[in-house]
Amino acid sequence: MDIKIVDGHLREFLKTKATPEKIAETLSLASVSVERIEKFGNDLVYHIEITTNRPDLASVIGIAKETAAVLSQSGINAVYTPPVLPNPKSAIKEKPITINNNPQLVRRINAAVMEVAMRETPQYIKERLEASGIRSLNLIIDITNYVMLTIGHPTHVFDLDRLNTSELNIRESKKGEKITTLDKKEYILPGGDIVADNGKEIVDLLGIMGLENSVVTDTTKRIVFFINNNDPHKIRKTSMTLGIRTEAAQLNEKSLDPELSYTALLYGIHLYETVAEGKLLADIIDIYPSKPTPKTISVTKEKIDSVIGIDIALTKAQSILNSLGFETKIDANSLLAAVPKSRMDDVEKEEDLIEEIARMYGYHNLPSKLPQIMSEKPRHLEKDIFFWEKRVKDALKYWGFTETYTYSMVSEAMYEGPLENAVKLKNPLGDDYMYMRATLVPSLLKVISENKQYKEVKLFELANVYHKKPKGLPEEIPMLAAVIKSSSFSFYHAKGIIEQLAKDLGIKDLSFSPPSKGGVGADVIIGGKEVGAIEVLEEELIDFEINFELLIQHATLHKKYLPLPKYPPVIEDMAFFISEDISTGKIIDLIREQSPLIKDVSLLDRYKDSRTFHILYQDPTKNLATADIASIREKITDSLSKKFNASPKL
Amino acid sequence: MEEQLIGIKNTALSFILEAKTLHELEETKLQFLGRSGTLTLAFKDLVKLPMEKRKEVGMLANEVKTAIEEALEQKQLQFLGNQKKEQAKKIDVTEPGEKPSLGHLHLITQAIEEITTIFEGIGFQRVRYPEIEWDWYAFEALNFPESHPARDDWETFFVDEDTDPKMGPVILTPHTSSGQVREMINVVKSHSAEEKIQIKMLNIAKCYRRQSDVSHTQMFHQFEGLVVGKNIAITHLKGTLDYFVKSYFGEKRKARIRPYHFQFTEPSFEVDVSCGVCLGKGCKLCKAGWLEMGGAGMVHPNVLKAGGIDPKKYTGFAFGWGVERVLMMKDDIEIDDLRLLYSNNLAFLEQF
Repeated sequence: MDIKIVDGHLREFLKTKATPEKIAETLSLASVSVERIEKFGNDLVYHIEITTNRPDLASVIGIAKETAAVLSQSGINAVYTPPVLPNPKSAIKEKPITINNNPQLVRRINAAVMEVAMRETPQYIKERLEASGIRSLNLIIDITNYVMLTIGHPTHVFDLDRLNTSELNIRESKKGEKITTLDKKEYILPGGDIVADNGKEIVDLLGIMGLENSVVTDTTKRIVFFINNNDPHKIRKTSMTLGIRTEAAQLNEKSLDPELSYTALLYGIHLYETVAEGKLLADIIDIYPSKPTPKTISVTKEKIDSVIGIDIALTKAQSILNSLGFETKIDANSLLAAVPKSRMDDVEKEEDLIEEIARMYGYHNLPSKLPQIMSEKPRHLEKDIFFWEKRVKDALKYWGFTETYTYSMVSEAMYEGPLENAVKLKNPLGDDYMYMRATLVPSLLKVISENKQYKEVKLFELANVYHKKPKGLPEEIPMLAAVIKSSSFSFYHAKGIIEQLAKDLGIKDLSFSPPSKGGVGADVIIGGKEVGAIEVLEEELIDFEINFELLIQHATLHKKYLPLPKYPPVIEDMAFFISEDISTGKIIDLIREQSPLIKDVSLLDRYKDSRTFHILYQDPTKNLATADIASIREKITDSLSKKFNASPKL
Repeated sequence: MEEQLIGIKNTALSFILEAKTLHELEETKLQFLGRSGTLTLAFKDLVKLPMEKRKEVGMLANEVKTAIEEALEQKQLQFLGNQKKEQAKKIDVTEPGEKPSLGHLHLITQAIEEITTIFEGIGFQRVRYPEIEWDWYAFEALNFPESHPARDDWETFFVDEDTDPKMGPVILTPHTSSGQVREMINVVKSHSAEEKIQIKMLNIAKCYRRQSDVSHTQMFHQFEGLVVGKNIAITHLKGTLDYFVKSYFGEKRKARIRPYHFQFTEPSFEVDVSCGVCLGKGCKLCKAGWLEMGGAGMVHPNVLKAGGIDPKKYTGFAFGWGVERVLMMKDDIEIDDLRLLYSNNLAFLEQF
């Protein structure tokens, strides 16, 4: 959370000559980050980001104490001057209200019943509240906010007469109970929220916001100044569920120091007395059933040095911890430190002490070194998916494809396959992002449709798809998908891309078969296993998607040298009339079978029922004579005519 | 005879001089030096001369031949030169070239490749772990308390699956840090008792969080470094960080670490890089000269324990930074809305 603090307010509790810029820089480097300093009237405001482990710094006195420590450590004089608050005594010995606490819900309750006068809020309070982003409402409420800002513990105030009870009961809400908050909004409680009732109805949503039925008004005379130190998890849950993110809720959900609750009470009483003519009507209330037990942590010099990376004298470490309010002792090679109450939740082990020592020593004062260890795992490139990913992506790029990154989550309409196999999100950001996709193609098609003005588009993506498994985590499979929109890109171009990719990856056992799932296109087969498919979706729209994991299982970096041919090849073309139903693959296979001297056969041309084949003959042992080829040629013609009823085209 | 030879020479040279084309030159050559060319025939006549004259006239004939050949050659070169000049005139260097096809790798891929190359240079090895992950690896083993805000369903995506009694619910991993404990468990499993444990991992992966605005997308990428060994210290984290920042952003940029808070590191740091626009002086785009890059820290002892590593013997550091974040922090890129990276607008993709 961010807090905003006025420089003048800070210096009420911090005596130093350091400039605001110096304070901001020193705090940022050694403690919490001062995001910026802004002008505010004649003063300046610090914007400070408080990390969740340091709620003790979410106040003016918190920052004053820390700033004094970090400035002193960096050699600048600075002293923290805490507010001096006597224990107030009441002249009247009545007991106008009893509070029945539930210690499971609230760790400490502090309260004071007072008579007050509604006056104009002093200018400095108004300004400091406004600077920190809190609107001034009326003096009685402004004081509660000013206490929170100064001391760091949220506080609340009831109109005693409107409460209309002598007993307040702290309890958990039941599901469905209704409340109206002081900003006149109605809520239905989810249940398990910390509330106070007066025996008839709920009068407070503790730690989050006051209610309309008990809030002070312009005519309020008697108040209950009320501070509760709550179970932080319950506060977070209620605040998030109802969407009430008040400053109080954001502080209370971070486990505040119960000691602060008492300081806040005294500081509030002091303010009511001095600016609102306040008088205590009874002794103050302090319900504090179980105090946290004090904690001492020890750390060795060896450990400190090994984590920070340089030699740090124990006396130096000791003086740092002392400046932060730790009580310390050096025992031989160890440092013992008693944790201050305000840091009980944050400092638990030796690493926490080392952090305090290191940050105050100054991270910028540490040298930079590269770690000298090396992993001894050998790198098997052939099995390395990252190696192949780069190779394939680069190939597609140089073949004119543009890479996309689309979301893994898709809508029901974009999900392909039976929904019962889908990996579904419980809390998606809208219905468009409900399912983890099982195929990439629909996402790429969406990109095509979103870029309608482009006539020619070639896209690809390499990303995981997800399949539900009966037990355990879903399966994640990397897929390579492409979608091509073009008037000059046919099925054979898509096939050619896959063939060339396979060739580049050293994959030999690649084939294509008619699509098993129907439609127009082909299944891609490697090593007898289906690894993907080409789909012709529309006349000018083609896609393919291949299981990348299976693809690279067959990829290899092993190359085999074949002796260079000593004798030149003979190349000739043969044309046949042959039924269009017979696939070229079968014809080529049959031609190749006719002689071991045939080294290569390819389709040169196809027109209606005539096909021309380009045939390469080569003998590794001698120059081929026309006679050698003539006999093979005859065999080819015979076999084609016998098997496929083909006739040579003369 | 001598006069005849001189006459041949003069005629030939004047023909050569007047030739207008390469073709005319070829004709001249044939006319004098061809099989029945004038000079060739004159050579044949040499035998008819008396012996005492033959030598002298022979020498003259050779001189004439050389002179004609040289003139021919020179003229030929002149013609060829003109031809080249003509060719040169026909090329308009301002017309577009015939280009081979060239597509585009996505900016995120380009950034991932750069990051990988940089870290591989100092011995990091890339790994990949599940995107859909057990709560245990993403939170529990990383020392997140049960009630930590990141574990609730306002911040993290939950998968509609049964909760495992030990591993917890199934989620979309919100950070690459989930890979830390997986890596430790893998390394511990594969190493023998006498060997020292040494980890230098780089995990780059998709991550998911329930947020979408100018600087957040529900899917994004992180790169995570994890180094575990004997006496791994804050100074090593600083060294690695400086190396990356100088390599990726350039020599002019600087890095620093500040205190921060994360559950799975202790101490924890926020890492800043000096602003590429003002180079650290302070400007509109940065905070007093610095830009936040992401988090880092010394591996929390509870995390080492969860990975089966004794925190008394070993220490480590880790960092997890956004790929999109560092990409947008580069000088000059000037992309002001992170969501553009996932818009898949071709006009955008084709710029890179």
